[in-house]
Amino acid sequence: MTPAIRRRPFLPLFVVPAALVAIAITAGLAAILRFSLHAYVPGSLDVGGFTLDNFADLARPIVLRAMRDTVLICFETALATLILGYPVAYALVRTRSALLKSVILVTAVTPLFLGEVVRTYAWTVVLGNSGFINATLRQFGLIDRPIQFMFTEFGVVVALVHVTLPVMVIMLAAALAHIDRDYEKAAQSLGAGPVRAFLTVTLPLSMPGVVAGFTTAFAWTFSAFATPQVIGGGKVGVVSTLVYQLGLSSFNFPVAASLSLAGLGLALGTMWAVRRAARPLEAMGGH
Amino acid sequence: MSSRAADVIPAADRRSPDRPTPDLATSDLPAARTARRGAAAVLLDGVLKRFGTVTALEETRLRVEQGEFLTLLGPSGCGKTTLLNLMAGFLEADAGEILIGGEQVTATPPYERQIGIVFQNYALFPHMSVARNVGYGLRMRGVPKREIAARVEETLALVKLQGFADRSPRQLSGGQQQRVALARALVIRPRVLLLDEPFSALDKNLRGAMQVELKEIQRRLGVTTVFVTHDQGEALSLSDRIVVMSAGRIRQVGTPDEVYRHPQDRFVAGFIGDVNTLPARLETLSGVRATVALGDLRREVEAAALRDRPPGSPVDVFVRPDHLGVRPAGEGGTLPARVAALVYQGSHIDLHADLATGERVVVRVPGQGALATHAPGTAIGLAVPQGGLVAFPPE
Ligand SMILES: Nc1ncnc2c1ncn2[C@@H]1O[C@H](COP(=O)(O)OP(=O)(O)OP(=O)(O)O)[C@@H](O)[C@H]1O
Ligand SMILES: [Mg+2]
Repeated sequence: MTPAIRRRPFLPLFVVPAALVAIAITAGLAAILRFSLHAYVPGSLDVGGFTLDNFADLARPIVLRAMRDTVLICFETALATLILGYPVAYALVRTRSALLKSVILVTAVTPLFLGEVVRTYAWTVVLGNSGFINATLRQFGLIDRPIQFMFTEFGVVVALVHVTLPVMVIMLAAALAHIDRDYEKAAQSLGAGPVRAFLTVTLPLSMPGVVAGFTTAFAWTFSAFATPQVIGGGKVGVVSTLVYQLGLSSFNFPVAASLSLAGLGLALGTMWAVRRAARPLEAMGGH
Repeated sequence: MSSRAADVIPAADRRSPDRPTPDLATSDLPAARTARRGAAAVLLDGVLKRFGTVTALEETRLRVEQGEFLTLLGPSGCGKTTLLNLMAGFLEADAGEILIGGEQVTATPPYERQIGIVFQNYALFPHMSVARNVGYGLRMRGVPKREIAARVEETLALVKLQGFADRSPRQLSGGQQQRVALARALVIRPRVLLLDEPFSALDKNLRGAMQVELKEIQRRLGVTTVFVTHDQGEALSLSDRIVVMSAGRIRQVGTPDEVYRHPQDRFVAGFIGDVNTLPARLETLSGVRATVALGDLRREVEAAALRDRPPGSPVDVFVRPDHLGVRPAGEGGTLPARVAALVYQGSHIDLHADLATGERVVVRVPGQGALATHAPGTAIGLAVPQGGLVAFPPE
């Protein structure tokens, strides 16, 4: 043992589980990598010889469309979550009313503990053709045929926003809580109305939280499976559902493996690009 | 004579007549243009503020004169910040009216009050350069770009920060940040400048230097200033007038000399400067003077606070440590006492002595001689001055 570790006897308690997780993930990735580099043998779960064909297979239109749609859905979801989550986080941090604080916490943050699957099935009840929204609209005579939410990209995004909202609110609230209220007071004393004080001071200072929240929501959505699977119902193809179809419906593990790796690369690549594009924004709020 | 001086002494009258007219561009201060002749810079009329069941500020009347440097002084929690926030418009009064330059602002939001504020933690916008910080108030007012640049430069020169325009606030020392905060508040030519304990984060030397500088700038611009502190030394050295507060109430308003030498009640007497309390007995009351007996000594004190006390009733006499003297034991006109401890303070010695009646007093003895001549246990005679004493009924 190194002296550093001996001086912190609790350190192994933290390091050992982390190392086990890292080993498990690496092993998983290695297995996926192995599958992706070997030929598909129809009718068998075993693989053939070494090949790069699986990656060449990904150039098919259905795969490319899924990748494009995935990135689009992630953007739309992250953006919508940000726009919805910001006012909620702001109210959570700034309100003096303990009641409002608890209401926000319960409605916006506790769904985090419900899990994606439960929340997704809840949305099928709301979005379905005879679900809550359509039933209500019909009751008031606003529509005579149900509006199609299920199996549409819009429906998927709505449900994904709900799934990512708690994390967004927590991250934005953490950023906003760090902003001294005196900044806004100073801005107001200098002649800025509440809206201008917010736009010129609070918003720029919260940019690190905005960028962090956006990228987290983006990554979260990218890996979402249950929501696009259930709400999209096979009509909305994203990378995760396509991997599932290839792997567990067609048992084509090698192509599924190469698609997962490509998806991972795509996710990391877009997030790197997002962070890079947001760097000037983030710098605004550096404390 | 001490007085509720709030309404009595216009600041301008106390200034030397040869005071230079304000230079810079401040002669066209909007305040000077719009204020009604004779109107107070700030007038609080019956203002009261409660937080739930706590009364942070009891019904208060306070007049701040044009161009004066007024300090709110009092212990923590006495309502200084509350009073300041009411003037700034960050708090709404539960009762009463607030006028700035004669104009009713009770319901005016902060951003329309044209008040400059320096916060305790400076609150400089971390995402803006020094110049953009200082220019912020002008941009919000839609001042043309070229004029903004000129006024920012002028104001940075005023606070001696030329050449710092493009720095980030993070790259500045505490004192420099303080100056930026001051410049940012002054550049809008505020009708009133409010400062809430602006120096409490600075170390002692820097604080002294900044105090001098603030006072100089304030005098030069003639800007009405309301300054909050709980440091009585700071209040005494900076202010034209001091408002002494405690528990949400104004206890006394007066010049530093008035509150120091003629405190109106026990609280003010005890809060401003170090003070000894000597038990005494009221002998006679005649007009504005009263005679009290301190052991075998007779001394004259101001009568105001003792007016309805019968002769013979106990009173407490307040006397400053530097007004007491040490004499040989048994000398006529002194109180018998015994040295208890000597505390070296550099330029002087604090001699702690026990009176024959049991009270502990502190005498400030200049120089270091007492260390050698008055070892603990030495019997001494305590000389009590003839004038400058104040007395109040016991608590
Ligand atoms: N927002 C608030 N809610 C409830 N009570 C408050 C609030 N602000 C101030 N108070 C109370 O009002 C009283 C006066 O507070 P204030 O901040 O004005 O004191 P202060 O003189 O500025 O003290 P300090 O020197 O510690 O800054 C205190 O008892 C305080 O607890
Ligand atoms: Mg305060």
